Amino acid sequence: MAELPKTPLLDELEKGPWPSFVTEIKEAAKHKASSRDLLGLLERSYRERLGHWKHGGIVGVLGYGGGVIGRYTDLPQDFPAISHFHTMRINQPPGWFYTSKALRQICDIWEEHGSGLTNMHGSTGDIILLGTTTPELEPTFQALCAVGFDLGGSGSDMRTPSSCVGPARCEWACYDTLGLAHDLTITFQDELHRPMFPYKFKFKCSGCPNDCVAAVARADMSIIGTWRDDIKVDHAKVKEYADKGLDIERTVIRNCPGKCMEWDGATLAIDNSACRKCMHCINVMPKALRPGDDRGATILIGSKAPIVEGALLSSVLIPFWKPEPPYEDLKDLVRTIWDLWAEEGKNRERVGEFIQRVGLGNFLSAIGLDPEAEMVAHPRENPYIFYAVGDKE
Amino acid sequence: MADKVSVDEVAEAMYKQVASAQGVKKLKPGDLNKMMAEIYGDRVDRDTCKLAIRKLIESSRCVYTYFGGSYIELPHRESAEN
Amino acid sequence: MTEATQRVTDIGPPHHEKMMPPVIQKNYGKWVSHEILKPGVMVHEAESGDKLYTVRAGSPRLVSIWKLRKFADLADKYCGGHLRFTSRHNAEFLLTDPAGIDPLIADLKAIGHPVGGIGAAITSIVHTQGWVHCHSAATDASGIVKAVMDAIDPYFTGTKKIPGKLRIALACCLNMCGAVHCSDIAILGIHRRPPRTDVGAVGKLCEIPNVVASCPTAAIRPAQKDGASTVEVIEEQCMYCANCYTVCPAMPLNDPVNDGVSIWVGGKVSNARSEPTFSKLAVPYIPNNPPRWPEVVDCVVKLVELWAANARPYERMGEWINRITWPKFFRMAELPFSKEHIDDFKHAGLTFKRSAQLVH
Repeated sequence: MAELPKTPLLDELEKGPWPSFVTEIKEAAKHKASSRDLLGLLERSYRERLGHWKHGGIVGVLGYGGGVIGRYTDLPQDFPAISHFHTMRINQPPGWFYTSKALRQICDIWEEHGSGLTNMHGSTGDIILLGTTTPELEPTFQALCAVGFDLGGSGSDMRTPSSCVGPARCEWACYDTLGLAHDLTITFQDELHRPMFPYKFKFKCSGCPNDCVAAVARADMSIIGTWRDDIKVDHAKVKEYADKGLDIERTVIRNCPGKCMEWDGATLAIDNSACRKCMHCINVMPKALRPGDDRGATILIGSKAPIVEGALLSSVLIPFWKPEPPYEDLKDLVRTIWDLWAEEGKNRERVGEFIQRVGLGNFLSAIGLDPEAEMVAHPRENPYIFYAVGDKE
Repeated sequence: MADKVSVDEVAEAMYKQVASAQGVKKLKPGDLNKMMAEIYGDRVDRDTCKLAIRKLIESSRCVYTYFGGSYIELPHRESAEN
Repeated sequence: MTEATQRVTDIGPPHHEKMMPPVIQKNYGKWVSHEILKPGVMVHEAESGDKLYTVRAGSPRLVSIWKLRKFADLADKYCGGHLRFTSRHNAEFLLTDPAGIDPLIADLKAIGHPVGGIGAAITSIVHTQGWVHCHSAATDASGIVKAVMDAIDPYFTGTKKIPGKLRIALACCLNMCGAVHCSDIAILGIHRRPPRTDVGAVGKLCEIPNVVASCPTAAIRPAQKDGASTVEVIEEQCMYCANCYTVCPAMPLNDPVNDGVSIWVGGKVSNARSEPTFSKLAVPYIPNNPPRWPEVVDCVVKLVELWAANARPYERMGEWINRITWPKFFRMAELPFSKEHIDDFKHAGLTFKRSAQLVH
């Protein structure tokens, strides 16, 4: 095996306490020519302060339009082993749980077919296999399928849904986030692999309003767990927290956005009718407080990063939804939204931008949902109201 | 109601659209669906269109491409390839 | 339906149940409470009385299969062959026997992975590909993240205490493959010059209407050059978003001199206390300074320390700033306030100060 390239700049990033990605690339470079060239290319980028990648637009596996991101270096003469260096997105198991066996199977496949480098995980949630050649795409895909893995999304398709750890290890999970993410993924395999939308569409499933998968900021449809009944209180445990030195008045009461709690030094009183389900008090006293039993989710729609028309947070579409497998009500709603958006959406227009353009009120009419006060931060301030012509009395 | 058009016929019609648009305009699956609706009216539905696209892709007569968004084109060498 | 093929397709991901340890399968949806035992270690208790210990290890996100195999070995040694990853790239080891915790932490340390990032701590930085693998990067991702994490490692491992959670994210361009726009501190790669249009290539490589439509400020117009169709860019209208480059490779913006990093603060996604909110601009531009971006690291450390010294318990960066007001934040952070800080895109007027409530 050839010597590793000299990398004086990258070597600086092997110093310090945090684990180094350079060390990871060097490890792979001992085994793989492509990773060796990647190391050399990256050193060059560090010297020149410039990236050296071109975006491909065609490569993939037969039949799928998503899951492979074409990459070619613009310096193929200098770094021939990464002349092709495509990314493969592999749909993660919900909650990112693995057996050591499954993890090793992925490693073995990637040792045989690719660079040996991965991201665990990419931003949308997929396992990212970082770098292989065009001829290796299909064999890698089939090897992965043989051990039960499939590609994730890319391009104008349904992107790989993701979920928080949910009921697998969290007492705050208000619904089965892993189950819903898995069910949506399986139901919409066609939409995941075969781009058919104006642009991407992401689902993220968070089990409670702490929103550990950032659904409100990163998903076209954000499904965030919540509850409708009273917070469950273990008063003895509240007292325990206080006795151990927690300043309940200052830390809990004053931070309550609904101002619905009182603490007299002995008893915690909650006016649950004013509780906004923010999670703060529960976060502070997890042994004493829990979400209620009438659990479900709020469905929000439309968040995205800035490209094209500016960043958006998701906004409320269904204030409270009772998730029950096989989730047909949600799937019907999703199909209705997709049909409308596919018909009326502009090229590269996310559903959130589409709603901004046509107006939330018109969007609701088109998908057959009634407006509800929960959908807005406040009612309109401007008096230029569009009344449909023909509306009578 | 008129007979539904077959998947094969829709696939052929789509292929013609893709071929004549090649190099001029990139077509999205949604564009093809709309074109088919214009040609066949209610004799074609979305599921038939989906299957027709799948047929074109799986026979390698057409490919998915990505340039900021996803399109359907005739196979060609990509410009970024070395 | 289409004819059956020999190839396996459309199987989707493995079901999570196949991947979860028995203790989770047994207690799925039946957890009652949890407690953080020490930095990076917590215990969850189920209705059944079963306990599950989690050890969270930091990771650079970019990991080789040789490292993953070591993780798999540790999962075999301590966790019955199971592990998981978090939404912020950490590896989590799930134990039923607390006796394994300290030896596991020692083993993780031996392979270079610190344990921490739970509760009132800074956890791993969500980030993008950067120069490692992206065509549109205005900066590197992994390098800055490594340098910043080296500097704030004590807040991950818990040797330095902070008032609450602080989430850092990095995106190497405005595409923002990550929740950068809602982070306590966001590091965002930016371009600062319009695309260098390859006039001859645009018409060959790209569709002119798509390129024109890609521009959020309508700065791109169709044009003719030597009888061929191309585009021209009204440079004063360009805000360097690189959206045109995404649809047309003949319009590169990458620029070794003018590309760099901006710093944004005060965003959050959680609903706890205050509602989710975007990050706001703190520092418009810091030049790229590889390999360790010392100016960026200094800025982040300064912001963390300022927040840590002044915020109340549980108060996130944005909540603290909202309490003290933004002008005071700029003064305390000794950051200059410039024209770039004032929004001039859609709904910019909503960000103007529309009252006389000021802290003088």
